[in-house]
Amino acid sequence: MLDREVGGLFEPIPPYPPQTERESEFYTLGDGEMFLNLGPHHPATHGVLRLVLKLSGEQIVDVDPVLGYLHRGVEKICENSDYYHVIDQVDPLEYLSSLFQEWSAVLAFEKLMDVAVPPRAEYIRVLTGELLRISSHTLFQGFLALDLGGLAPILYSFIERDEIVEMLAALTGARMLFNYFRIGGVNGDLNHEFLSRLGDWMSRAAQQTEANATLLNENEIFVRRMRGVGVLDRDTALRFGVTGGNLRASGVPFDVRRAHPYSVYPDLEFNVPTREEGDSLARYLVRVDEVRESIKIIDQCLHNMPDGPVMAKLPRLLRPRPGRSWGAVEGPRGMMGVYAISDGSDQPFRFRIHDPSFVNLATVPTLLPGSLLADTMAIVSSLDPVLGGIDK
Amino acid sequence: MRAQLNHPIRASIAHARGIPRGAWERTTIQDRVLILVILALGGAVITVLGAVIFGPPIGDFLGANIPLVRFAVAVTVILLITVPTAFLIIYLELKVIARMNLRIGPNRVGPWGAAMSVIHGLKVLAKEDFSPTGADITVFTLAPVVTYLASVMTLLVIPFAPGLFGQDLNIGLLFIFSMSGLTVLGLLMAGWSSFNKYSILGGLRSAAQVISYEIPLTLSVVGVILLAGTMSLNHIVAAQSGSALDWFAFKQPLALLIFFIAATAEANRTPFDMTEADSEIVAGFATEYSGMRFGFFFFAEYVNVFIVSALVTTIFFGGWTAPFGWPWPITLNALDPLALGFFGWVGIVLAVGLVGTQLLALIVRLLGGREWTWGSSIGLGFLLLLVGVAAVAGLAAFIAFDAVRGLTWFMGKTYFFVFVFIWMRATLPRVRVDQLMGFAWKWLLPASLLNLFVTATAVVLVHG
Repeated sequence: MLDREVGGLFEPIPPYPPQTERESEFYTLGDGEMFLNLGPHHPATHGVLRLVLKLSGEQIVDVDPVLGYLHRGVEKICENSDYYHVIDQVDPLEYLSSLFQEWSAVLAFEKLMDVAVPPRAEYIRVLTGELLRISSHTLFQGFLALDLGGLAPILYSFIERDEIVEMLAALTGARMLFNYFRIGGVNGDLNHEFLSRLGDWMSRAAQQTEANATLLNENEIFVRRMRGVGVLDRDTALRFGVTGGNLRASGVPFDVRRAHPYSVYPDLEFNVPTREEGDSLARYLVRVDEVRESIKIIDQCLHNMPDGPVMAKLPRLLRPRPGRSWGAVEGPRGMMGVYAISDGSDQPFRFRIHDPSFVNLATVPTLLPGSLLADTMAIVSSLDPVLGGIDK
Repeated sequence: MRAQLNHPIRASIAHARGIPRGAWERTTIQDRVLILVILALGGAVITVLGAVIFGPPIGDFLGANIPLVRFAVAVTVILLITVPTAFLIIYLELKVIARMNLRIGPNRVGPWGAAMSVIHGLKVLAKEDFSPTGADITVFTLAPVVTYLASVMTLLVIPFAPGLFGQDLNIGLLFIFSMSGLTVLGLLMAGWSSFNKYSILGGLRSAAQVISYEIPLTLSVVGVILLAGTMSLNHIVAAQSGSALDWFAFKQPLALLIFFIAATAEANRTPFDMTEADSEIVAGFATEYSGMRFGFFFFAEYVNVFIVSALVTTIFFGGWTAPFGWPWPITLNALDPLALGFFGWVGIVLAVGLVGTQLLALIVRLLGGREWTWGSSIGLGFLLLLVGVAAVAGLAAFIAFDAVRGLTWFMGKTYFFVFVFIWMRATLPRVRVDQLMGFAWKWLLPASLLNLFVTATAVVLVHG
């Protein structure tokens, strides 16, 4: 009797009566089913994601993702700061790829104000962005392996990431939240320490990333855990609005860098790797290929980088004409967009952040049912969500 | 510095917090020494009196029941050696995995961090003994004990060296399998009684896994039993004596493979650590355990690693036998210790100690850099001398005593397999539950049956 009472307390059922049909359907248990509360501080949910799983044995019947544990109302904060300070506010959202978050905001504002960015600044943005993309993708590999029980790859990934982050710290002064991009350019030119670290790293980057990938690609257990798991077909992906590597793994060669070119990407040569399978393994392999492409892009950036200023001339106080703009960049997790509306004042009237992880994570309730509990990690991890961006 | 810090500040803090100073704090150093001496003397007197009064009857009783005494001593010793063994393997795991991950690993506590696992053990002892709301306290408390004892009891029949084993059961292998089968009972008890869904998932996984892998595990050694004609581990080792070519690893390679895989699953080690898959079910059956209750599970896991390695060594790699016969006979010309007399021995010790230390110090002084003064080189020389004497003594013991030789080979082989387990843990991801079960029933079981069939046919053909 005690068990029943206490058990009722600990069940992950909301304390209020069901609000929607879906909710009442989900929180009614069938025969032999049970709820499992996965998160918000579970070792494998990448931050504070909470998944309420309905299990039958080890098999997942249904899933209800619960978000919002990190919600700080960043969009509203941005609408109350002036245009320069928005960059500080959006920085910690996607903490693994903060430069891209800055980039999307800066791009939207530049369109709003018709600022011409100097070419050297554009090249520096591409260079640092691709470095951070590699860092993010290497970390993705490591965490994916960790969620499948492999201990080593995460540490090898962190070695790579540490080199990149140290290099960016030499340039920007921070290891994680760089706050480097400015409206009209970047904050400071490339310096000697950055370039020497970059040259040192580039001399063995390709080899090292190949070696790290081989550790997983050729591991039979890893491949068997990933193949055919969480298949996201082309139509579902498009219907949900999935972008980034997850969409390209489903066979759609959509890459913002090619589809809606920005910055100097039209001048650079790189492929958009795609896979047809749409399963977790494909999502992983697409990212491994993207690392190779990023190394190619960095190489071209270093060869083509022009001389010149890194900042456009701008007034102290920015008051763009009333209007609206959409700036989107291809982040490591997909299209990172910012929709900004100006009412002519020195603060954005509306600042809407489109986060790719949010859309990607929305597919989880369609991907998970029917698979096993252990597949939850293979699927959620391969979608590569960052909860900072999702909860905003 | 430390003295300054220690005395007034501590005292003032104690005073400020109103901590009463006990009787022991009020005593002086002389008092403390006196108390200790009195205690020691009293203890000695009581021991002697007890020995005089109760000694003869106890001695008679023990003399009349030698097997019982042997059993009691063996169980005690085995219970005692499990803890250091677990400490050693935990330390090895920390250090080896750290090296494989390009980390340094523990390096603060003791030389090269060697006391790390001991500190872990003390920490576990000092923690709160917590049981969750809604848990079945009796079962919850008994579960770690069952798991620990079941795995430790397996050590009873493993021959460590000639003459160095707990019991020579004629059903040794059966005993091992039945005992290690009991482990699952403890895990299931822990999972069920914790009142936690992750725990029950872990417990059920372990039940399914251990029961499935028990079958190929047992069937794989039947071939060895057929070849050796016995289930006693001592006799299985004896059947492999000779050179490395007599090891069952070469006569039964398929059985070795099956046994190794199934034993990994039995010991719940990576890649089959489904029961405590940290990224899936948090810590499995041990989720709600803390303090020494968790410590028992932890120890049992590492004792299991040792046992599995010892079993692979014993059954397939010749146990304590040497891998090759020594090509020429070495005998130590036994020195009669009484011939030298007391002063002779003192003289030898003094001469070797003084001359050896000086010689080694000279070498250190000459080869070392400028920073080696005479004082420090003599110190290092003395340490080197001790190491050298220990090495010579160890070598002599290795040559002179069968048990030392056997134990060395046995531990060497066993820790090689312990290393392999750690290596696997550092490298491999975890398999999925359905893949795990499918592998056991679709591949390992038919393979072990095939192995048994081929071995039995060969035995019948050869022996008529």
